[in-house]
Amino acid sequence: MITQDAVVAANRFGFGASPDEMTTIAKDPHAWVTKQIVAEKKLPDPLAALPSTMDDQLAFFVWLRDYRKQLESPDAAMTGTVEKSYAKALYPRYLTAVKARFDTAVSTPTPVFERLVHFWSNHFVVSGAKPVAIALPPSFERDAIRPYVTGKFSDMLLAVAKHPAMLVYLDNTRSIGPHSDRAKNPPKRAKTFAANPPPTGLNENLAREILELHTVGVDGGYDQADVTSFANVITGWQVIGPRQLIRFAARWAGIGNDLFYFNDAAHEPGAHVVMGKTYPAGGVEQGEAVLHDLARHPATATFIATKLARHFISDEPPEAAVTRLAHVFHDTDGDLGAVTRALVDSPEAWADPHAKLKQPEEYLISAVRSLGGPPLQGRQLMASLHEMGQRPYMSPGPDGWSDLQDYWLSPDGVWKRIEWAQLAGRALAGTIPQPDAYAQDIFGATLSASTRTAIGRAESPAQGVALLLTSPEFMRR
Amino acid sequence: MSTLNRRTLLKAAGCSLAVASSSLPRIAFASPATDKRFVVIVLRGGMDGLAAIPAYGDPAFETARAGIATPPPGHEGGALPLDSMFGLHPALTEFATLYTEKSFVPIQAACVAYHGRSHFEAQNVLENGSAVPYFLKTGWLNRSLSVLPGSNGDVGIAIAQTMPVIMRGDATVTSWYPSTLPQPNTDTIGRIAAMYAADAKLDAALQRARAAHEMATDTDPGSQFASLMTAAGGFLAKSQGPRVAMIESTGWDTHANQAATHGALDRNMRELNRGAAALHGALGDAWNQTAILVMTEFGRTVAMNGTQGTDHGTGGAAFLFGGAVAGGRVLADWPGLRPNNLYEGRDLRPTTDLRAVMKGVLAAHLGIPDAHLERVVFPDSADVKPIRDLVNT
Repeated sequence: MITQDAVVAANRFGFGASPDEMTTIAKDPHAWVTKQIVAEKKLPDPLAALPSTMDDQLAFFVWLRDYRKQLESPDAAMTGTVEKSYAKALYPRYLTAVKARFDTAVSTPTPVFERLVHFWSNHFVVSGAKPVAIALPPSFERDAIRPYVTGKFSDMLLAVAKHPAMLVYLDNTRSIGPHSDRAKNPPKRAKTFAANPPPTGLNENLAREILELHTVGVDGGYDQADVTSFANVITGWQVIGPRQLIRFAARWAGIGNDLFYFNDAAHEPGAHVVMGKTYPAGGVEQGEAVLHDLARHPATATFIATKLARHFISDEPPEAAVTRLAHVFHDTDGDLGAVTRALVDSPEAWADPHAKLKQPEEYLISAVRSLGGPPLQGRQLMASLHEMGQRPYMSPGPDGWSDLQDYWLSPDGVWKRIEWAQLAGRALAGTIPQPDAYAQDIFGATLSASTRTAIGRAESPAQGVALLLTSPEFMRR
Repeated sequence: MSTLNRRTLLKAAGCSLAVASSSLPRIAFASPATDKRFVVIVLRGGMDGLAAIPAYGDPAFETARAGIATPPPGHEGGALPLDSMFGLHPALTEFATLYTEKSFVPIQAACVAYHGRSHFEAQNVLENGSAVPYFLKTGWLNRSLSVLPGSNGDVGIAIAQTMPVIMRGDATVTSWYPSTLPQPNTDTIGRIAAMYAADAKLDAALQRARAAHEMATDTDPGSQFASLMTAAGGFLAKSQGPRVAMIESTGWDTHANQAATHGALDRNMRELNRGAAALHGALGDAWNQTAILVMTEFGRTVAMNGTQGTDHGTGGAAFLFGGAVAGGRVLADWPGLRPNNLYEGRDLRPTTDLRAVMKGVLAAHLGIPDAHLERVVFPDSADVKPIRDLVNT
């Protein structure tokens, strides 16, 4: 018997499941979830085949070098005559990575772990919607997120803040301490872009978003002075530059993915006060100390607990569950494995099997996982995701994708799923001749009479599958 | 099993055409109570107001904006002149024409009631219509529809894939966005609707989507901003169509290299300009009944930052244009750009609460009574007086 707990385990904590997998999950839904909350021993094949961070970074720089004369600035990559060359040089790389992420989620034996990767990758988001960052989010997700989703929050935070993707995406590579050597003596190199002389001052973008989006949250008790001060602290947090990378590619091959580079010459000297605490003058350890303190801040525990509960329980997460998760976060010094287990142990998480609307990427993954198809080639996959408004690695801003039903459940959003489901129904009709029985197998006790009736009365298996895919049971989790 | 290939796409499209004449009841928008049209365009990321409407007449302008100051009119890359103080970004030629035709009010030094510098909080306030981020879950545009005289509120459309905060709420609004997928089979839609009878949210969304698709002339016009504006104009031009539309444009967060001739800011300004022309064209005769408000979550720092861009600021620019707008003058209580004029020493000081503009347009253009504006649409805003002379009445 497929119980409600089995359906919740498979869909709320996983990415949906086939009838066979549902039978397995139903034996002990809770244990099926918790045993997946462990570090990964080996990278899934589709991800292992992706290029290194250095290779991704180089691809952008090589393209930039070739088209520099036609560009006003690196941010102008998507305009005018160079747009095609940009797409040609970098888009296949992006497409391959989106497909690898999708295939991993569809084929993994540990979908719960994968869900955590997607959650944290959206928390610490790097979006390729910014041209200079297009090639970076996949390796960022693999190197700075994936190893830490069941580990320490502070380790993930440090890995994120030092990853080239984040440093480039939120402009820190170009942030210069106003009193640093670099500001006093800007490099006398030839102008590379007409309107883009070497930067000579502070850019507070990364500092603000670490506070607002990654750690204590916007109500975490910081002000503009803290943002500026923290921005000063992390000046000099840079990435090995394109010149060195291109010229010494062979020699640097051994460094793999660690392109972080602390440039002391660009670092703002002196002690700095962030959120009431003075951090003595120093190098990279000054910023590391701030990040460690932010990771331990009580506001961070609450902020993370709320976000996790909103993602896995409901749009308006129950206060009791949030408090419980925040306590575990605090008591374990940010042990994300422990926090996730506390989440799974929360009765609130098992109460309503339809509390959340699936997001588009999740919807597509669960369709293929649950129904065994349709097979989506790279461009079909992208087109489907694009129509539904969620191109992976391309969230509109550094706050990532919304986790609220009111955002996703728009008339157009529902319409696009129906359009897609109709096509998928035609593609799957041959393998699912009895969609009503299939629905019973994957939704068991939670299948409503109205959905069962609608699918049962469908005029064809194709229409039946389309109805299954658009049913409230399938739209929600 | 076949994959979803181009052929299946085309075949499916043919299929749905074959059954399009099925007997489902035609869903239309409620009989619109007004002939007036109102469009809100949200520019996300924080448009640099001093790049949009450069105050070249202020003696402090060139110094304060060193490195990114738009040259005065007549110089290479210079501003388009508005008056002795203000000009327009050189790409905004359509707006310059509208200004001379008295159909455009450039608004400067305006801001929402929130003065923090978070994109997300500021956008939330811009859309929820209160002074506090996340204070209300619904949006002011939706709430204004719920009190639109003589209407049941069913006259709004968001040109968006997901529902923006500004359009969320109790009034029945729809959303629409271009699609390259084939239209669903009408019979299947009917069956899905039956399946949603017990799920109010899904049911409402599907009904609204059907209403929009009944009316859309071109299902895939492309998703460029100008194409979306054309589509919006097409909806609004219909006699039984929606009266209020909302469109978004993203990518205005110019932290670096914003003065570049083909940089992000320049591109955005060009798109905005093309979009305005496209909307104007698509509205046809309805243009004279239309007011369009272009707004963003905040302005940006007055001075250039260390990376030839600008950081998040406070006071910024907004545009009000359209055939119904009483324009040809700049709306600005100009605070000045000398260091001691600036808000917290870095931003253009906001002197106009954007809600005064929103309220003024809603009152004079859509006829929403003050009592509703103060309590329902913009709660606790009695002290923000509507600016009433912005539209022709």
